[in-house]
Amino acid sequence: MKKILLIEDDEIMPKIVARILPSTEYRLEHASNGKEALQLLEETSYAYDLIITDIMMPYANGFEILSKIKHRDRPIPVIIISNAGNEDMIMEGFKLGADDFLKKPILPAELLIRVKKLLM
Amino acid sequence: MSQIDNPTLSASVETVSSYLETAFTSVKAATRFLENTFLNAPITIQIAMVFIIIAIVTTALAYISILRNRYRGYRTDKKLARLCPRIDNLLIDEVLSHPSLQQHVPPDEIQLNIAPFEQLPLHRRWARQALTGRIIHFRRNVRGNIGLLLRNLYMQLDLDNDTLKKLKSRHWEKKVQALTELTSLDMFISDVTILPMTNDRNRELRAAARHAYIKLSKNEPFKFFDIAKEPLLMWDQVELFRTITSTENIAIPNFARWIIYSGNKSVISFCLKLVVYYNQHNAVPAILRLLETKDHYLRADAINCLGKLRARIAEDKLVALYSHQPIPCQIEILKALGRIGSGEHVEFLKTEFLHATDFDLRKHAAKSLVRNQWVSDHPGDELLSSVSQENLRILRHCMNPLIKY
Repeated sequence: MKKILLIEDDEIMPKIVARILPSTEYRLEHASNGKEALQLLEETSYAYDLIITDIMMPYANGFEILSKIKHRDRPIPVIIISNAGNEDMIMEGFKLGADDFLKKPILPAELLIRVKKLLM
Repeated sequence: MSQIDNPTLSASVETVSSYLETAFTSVKAATRFLENTFLNAPITIQIAMVFIIIAIVTTALAYISILRNRYRGYRTDKKLARLCPRIDNLLIDEVLSHPSLQQHVPPDEIQLNIAPFEQLPLHRRWARQALTGRIIHFRRNVRGNIGLLLRNLYMQLDLDNDTLKKLKSRHWEKKVQALTELTSLDMFISDVTILPMTNDRNRELRAAARHAYIKLSKNEPFKFFDIAKEPLLMWDQVELFRTITSTENIAIPNFARWIIYSGNKSVISFCLKLVVYYNQHNAVPAILRLLETKDHYLRADAINCLGKLRARIAEDKLVALYSHQPIPCQIEILKALGRIGSGEHVEFLKTEFLHATDFDLRKHAAKSLVRNQWVSDHPGDELLSSVSQENLRILRHCMNPLIKY
């Protein structure tokens, strides 16, 4: 079973993602801000197969988390989900090593396909 | 007098009688105060006393009102904390996990089971409002068929009636709330209802109505430009620009129409920015006509727009206008010559760079010279070696590709 970390400060999004990704195939864990996410990553020694993160969050934003993950020897694939449609932000995300970008509101089927593709 | 045997009842009677006694004593004290102190005091003291009493009573009322509102807010928060998870679960079970979604049935044909939603206290307005808020929140996170189903649910539960009632409210904040809800749910609003609001005296309502109109009007989203009397403030322009450029499937008109005919200067200025964004070169003749306007801020905006459109056709006219323009327009002309970069007016730019008395003019002339590739084409130019120390510093500043301003 693949382990996914969802970093999102919106209270509804984790419920939606949990419903989109079948629980038989994916184990979803949730962090509601950047600081909590970094703690979780340290505690588990970055033992996740995929990270789905928002950009704008309290304490540490998505870019900080992204740069921390991508500077490791074994980088974890990252999908950014954000409602920031700003071109510069998207480019910044890709420059820092994001593997995919989804703009909110998301299409459930699209998220599922992209997750599957990255975990193949 | 009858005897009271019940000890609880007798205690209550004693308490009530003690309260009555206290009240009676207070009234007596107040009467004594009125007779001895108030009536015997000089008139100025009497007036001061009245003001003090009014102040004390008003402060007490204000505190009571604050406490009452906070208590009501606390109770509503408590109720919402219980209700919202129920709503979320229902939305996930009945809408997000609807089996027909997996079978690719069009959302219009899907029958939603609304019976579980009817178990919510929807006879209460706050509960209906919470459900509307939650539906909108879900729609901000998911789109596609689920988004359409959420909209269907909103309509099937007649929540739109509440929103339409709010739209007719006398309070502007309720109208703004209604417009936001209708926009988030892609609901139709008739022009007759919304167009007058785009010209409302209240700035917030005006802005919300304009955004809603752009989002919801499929054929003529900019019709309100025709009737706009109030100015579009800078912040409004930023918000409108964001709405226009981020709305999908919007019909983009030729903005030259408003540049020619609008009597509202802020609308013209905003249209110039949109002309640049949508690269509407067919608007250049209208912008050239705008150069004759008496408002030099608007003229500066028009020159800026011509420069950004790289309208070579305008170069000669701009140079001819230059000498009798105010500084902001002269700066824009120099910038425009740099943006167009045809190289035909290098001599003019050189003269301005060397002989203008205003620092900004010299700086922009230098920047435009660099953009016209004058410096790189003539590296050994004797002018470059003979310019003053200050001009040389300006040139070096402009030649540095890392410095933008």
